[in-house]
Amino acid sequence: MKTAFKPSLLALAVGLSSSAMAADLMYPIGEGAFSWDAYNKFAAANDFTGETLTMTGATTGNDAQRYRNLYAYFTEATGAKVEYSGSESFEQDIVIASKAGGLPDVSAFPQPGLAKDLAKGGFIKELTAEQDARIRNDFAAGNSWADLGTFDNGKGGKSLFGIFFGTDVKSLVWYSPEQFEEGGYEIPHTQEELMALSKQIVADGGTPWCIGLGSGAATGWPATDWVEDMMLRTVSVEEYDQWVANDMKFNDPRVINAIEKYGEFVHAAGFADGGPEAAASVDFRDSPDGLFELPPKCYMHRQASFIPIFFPEGVEMGKDADFFYFPPFEANAELGRPVLGSGGLVSPFNDRPVTTAFINFLQTPIAHEIMMAQGQFLTPHKDANLDIYTSDTQRQLGEILTTATSFRFDGSDLMPGEIGTNAFWTGMVDYTTGTDAKTVADAIQKRWDSIK
Amino acid sequence: MSPLVQGIVTIALGVGGSIAYFYLSNLFLDKVLFPARGENISRNINRANTIRPWLFLGPTALLLAIYLFYPVVGSFVRSLYNRDGDLFIGFDNYTTFFASDGFQTAFMNNALWALVVPALSTFLGLVIAQLTDQLKWGNIAKSIIFMPMAISFVGASLIWKFVYANDPDIGLINAIRGSFGLESMDPLQVPFWNNLFLMVILIWVQTGFAMVILSAALRGIPDETIEAAIIDGANPFQVFFKIQIPQITTTIVVVWTTITILVLKVFDIVYAMTGGNFDTQILPSYMMQFMFRDDGRATAIAVVIMLIVSPVMIQNVRQARREMR
Repeated sequence: MKTAFKPSLLALAVGLSSSAMAADLMYPIGEGAFSWDAYNKFAAANDFTGETLTMTGATTGNDAQRYRNLYAYFTEATGAKVEYSGSESFEQDIVIASKAGGLPDVSAFPQPGLAKDLAKGGFIKELTAEQDARIRNDFAAGNSWADLGTFDNGKGGKSLFGIFFGTDVKSLVWYSPEQFEEGGYEIPHTQEELMALSKQIVADGGTPWCIGLGSGAATGWPATDWVEDMMLRTVSVEEYDQWVANDMKFNDPRVINAIEKYGEFVHAAGFADGGPEAAASVDFRDSPDGLFELPPKCYMHRQASFIPIFFPEGVEMGKDADFFYFPPFEANAELGRPVLGSGGLVSPFNDRPVTTAFINFLQTPIAHEIMMAQGQFLTPHKDANLDIYTSDTQRQLGEILTTATSFRFDGSDLMPGEIGTNAFWTGMVDYTTGTDAKTVADAIQKRWDSIK
Repeated sequence: MSPLVQGIVTIALGVGGSIAYFYLSNLFLDKVLFPARGENISRNINRANTIRPWLFLGPTALLLAIYLFYPVVGSFVRSLYNRDGDLFIGFDNYTTFFASDGFQTAFMNNALWALVVPALSTFLGLVIAQLTDQLKWGNIAKSIIFMPMAISFVGASLIWKFVYANDPDIGLINAIRGSFGLESMDPLQVPFWNNLFLMVILIWVQTGFAMVILSAALRGIPDETIEAAIIDGANPFQVFFKIQIPQITTTIVVVWTTITILVLKVFDIVYAMTGGNFDTQILPSYMMQFMFRDDGRATAIAVVIMLIVSPVMIQNVRQARREMR
């Protein structure tokens, strides 16, 4: 028995030493397809030896480690230490810090809506003209990304308050190619085909969808993504923007229609694994598991590009799991192929030189590449080398971002916090468990009216 | 300065400062203000002794005022302002609330919590205290019942999340339903009853507390009264209801009110179990929806909660003081 322990001890030792190494540079400078020129140029121009930069964000655990691996390069280049601390309750912590003092140098906001509030309060430092120009030039989809980070500056004007770093594509349906083959199912190219396919699966005795809205106190958000995707497929992007800004009321028939389009999937008999009741409470992280069971509990799962992190161990991308684009309606062909996405906004709270340099660093293609190389990171940065992506899946997703023509940001992330991270969420839970769409939409609009 | 040095310096300054304050202020009182000499010696000593307690109480009273009274007043003032805190809107936040469905649901649920949880915890605690006192293995039973007290509310919620899981392989309720051939369901989504399912968690945690206090009170009853009752032919029920209960009424009330106060504060259970969805919202979790976004409304709810808690708290303190006498 004793000897049996040895290999695992060895493995533990190796594991420990490699995690200790992880604090060092992951990819040797000068090697591989990275844009090392950009790095060298940045290193030569910036020296902040002995300084410390504090940063907070919502990212914790292994995800945070990937970011720390990147910050090690900033430290290597400038000599400035980056102290990152992640918190599950970042959204509250940062508001408290802004009121009580003690803001860090930089924060990564998971939702731009919150950054917008803080920018209005004068807490966030606007980006320099040079940084602003770089974002407009380097990021794909025209000025979309710069516009998303541009808010009221509390002084009667508008300014750019951060750089999007780390994005997700949301209009995706995950499925198991093996199961599709076995059932003889084809990838649908229109919503009509998707509906027909779902009905076909039910007729064959299967369950087409796994839907899970559970997310602790944030329960309900995955359904808001469904509705946003449905909005983009039933109304023009201009109308979508009006909706997000509440120029179109939340209880407008067009919004109710989009909610009901989601309902067609979650409420139809036999469509969702466990029915709407299960959908309302199953954790979104556990929900995709059903794709990989034998026999499969479901055949499709609509979720953003980050979801493979939560796939069961051993699932092989391409073979066990793949994705297709959540299709548009044939009936609304004029709306094109819109893409829904989201991203984190990194914003500075002061204009210390080291803070400014840090934002500059995040604008270099190399910063994006080092994150891409670690997987689970997508970027619309046009100069980042697509070859760095670790899989074809990632590369295809990355291409969607860099070649997108009509890209729209997750609407709930742009709405005021009360709506986007509260009323909309709970409303979608109510709708999923049986309240009608009109009642839910009325309630959300009422809440929105109350904060104007 | 390293945190260790900082800590030591802080302690030294704090303790030294306190000692210096009491020494010097007493010195000032006895030597300068009312010196214990001269013609007014007796009047001066009396005066000094009237003031002395305030020297000791003063700093604490001041701190209490700063840390307790000021925030309460500050919150109330804040609740009269709008979302951004820059416009005085009077009692608008309150009137909007009382008219809104969400608040009404939360209020009614909270009332239900305040009625059910203290009643059941105290009742179960009392019954268990009485029964276990007469058992050989009573102490083991007591330890087991007391144990949930050591678990945080969030931890307890996680445990019960498994009990209520919508999966007959994990959830106890669905396993039982399954054995009767019933479909599995999510107990936390059953209207109205889901509130009671959540309350069960708090009852589970608090029964141990009630049991321990009430058991001590039961033991404090003079044996003579019970013996006398038995000699007079009282049956066990009569002894319990007519002799023992009347003698520990004050303790029961204290336990009851203490748990009531706790119920009006609890929010972790609802937050962790349902996030307030499926009509299980209670006032503190409802307040959480507004916190950090709309201070006006969040503080308005806080004030409402405080107004509800206050009478219970006053009663609790009074009762506890009566006990001490």
